[in-house]
Amino acid sequence: MAPDNDDNDFLTGRVPEPDAEPTAAERAHAKTFADLIDKTLSGHTPPAMSTDDRTLLEVATVIRAASGNALLDAAKQRSLVEDALRQAIGGAGSSAATTGSVVPITRSRARRWAPWAVAATSTLVAAAVLILWVRTPPRIVTHTVPAAQNLPETWKSRPADALIGPITKEHAGDASARIDTIFADRLDGYRELRLRGRKP
Amino acid sequence: MKFKLTLGVLVVVVATLAWSACKSSQEPTQGSGVTQVTDPADAIDQKLMVALSQAKNFHHKAKVYMSDGNTAAAIASVREILSLRFPDKAPEADDVRNDARALLARLLVGQGQLDEAMNVVNEGLASGRESFFVANLYTVQGEIHQARADALSEATDPAAKAKLVEERHAAIESFDKSNQIDKKLQDQLMENR
Repeated sequence: MAPDNDDNDFLTGRVPEPDAEPTAAERAHAKTFADLIDKTLSGHTPPAMSTDDRTLLEVATVIRAASGNALLDAAKQRSLVEDALRQAIGGAGSSAATTGSVVPITRSRARRWAPWAVAATSTLVAAAVLILWVRTPPRIVTHTVPAAQNLPETWKSRPADALIGPITKEHAGDASARIDTIFADRLDGYRELRLRGRKP
Repeated sequence: MKFKLTLGVLVVVVATLAWSACKSSQEPTQGSGVTQVTDPADAIDQKLMVALSQAKNFHHKAKVYMSDGNTAAAIASVREILSLRFPDKAPEADDVRNDARALLARLLVGQGQLDEAMNVVNEGLASGRESFFVANLYTVQGEIHQARADALSEATDPAAKAKLVEERHAAIESFDKSNQIDKKLQDQLMENR
């Protein structure tokens, strides 16, 4: 770079006089840099540029942002506002996933806790099912024990001959009295059997 | 870190609940065990007592009817005893039924239904086992034969006279059979004592 033409060396080159007429190269460079800034603001930043240009571009961007004039374009603003309003009324933001839209704080917290709540609920349900499955109702254990075959005679069903005896002609019509005797005798044996813990 | 801590707490909670459930299910419930002793088939049971109770009530009912002179109702009540359901092979069943048959036959004789009375007696005599009740049935059978003979006592027809003799002999045979059974059973009872 020549010393009399140091427009390409902005940072270390000579500072021109305030009233000095811009040179053609200075104008061309200014126009190129202005195009670069315009492209950057419109979202079309060139993939490659010189270090000086990049430094100047960053400075220009900071100055622009600091001046408060860094406004989004109308379409972008409208999209963001619509997304925010939609989420506020409970709808899903259409462009949330793609544009990184605004997420309400409460919903953000809920999203953080949702997996834990699901996991805890599932665990408790699993525990309840496990308990119900493992815990069987109280069982009544029945031990069946064969009884001794030699029961007392009075506990057995047996002929009533020994109890009634011969039926004389005089008492032949006393069938009612005989059944009373048989019933009373068998009832005594039945009670004894039951009171001994034996279930007939 | 937070996830691992929470997961660990949940695992501990689940393990504790499962352990407590297993422990409580394995503990024997106090008083839940029941020991049932099976009785021999010849033990007195509820079915026998119910049948005896019903027979007793039908006998009392028949007695009331007889005291009122309502023999037909008394006969119906005694017939109910014959249809009672006793336990299988209960010796009391034969005894109670034969005693009811004897009473029924006497009531039928009182009504003049000698043939029907004889049918009732013969049903009882077919039961097989000898008992004082069977002996009583033979006594009733003898009374029926005697009643038939009495009905023929004034007949002059030779055939009727022959029938009269036949009935008297049958009556004697029945009474002898009754006495024979009574003596046999009494001897057995004496031996058993």
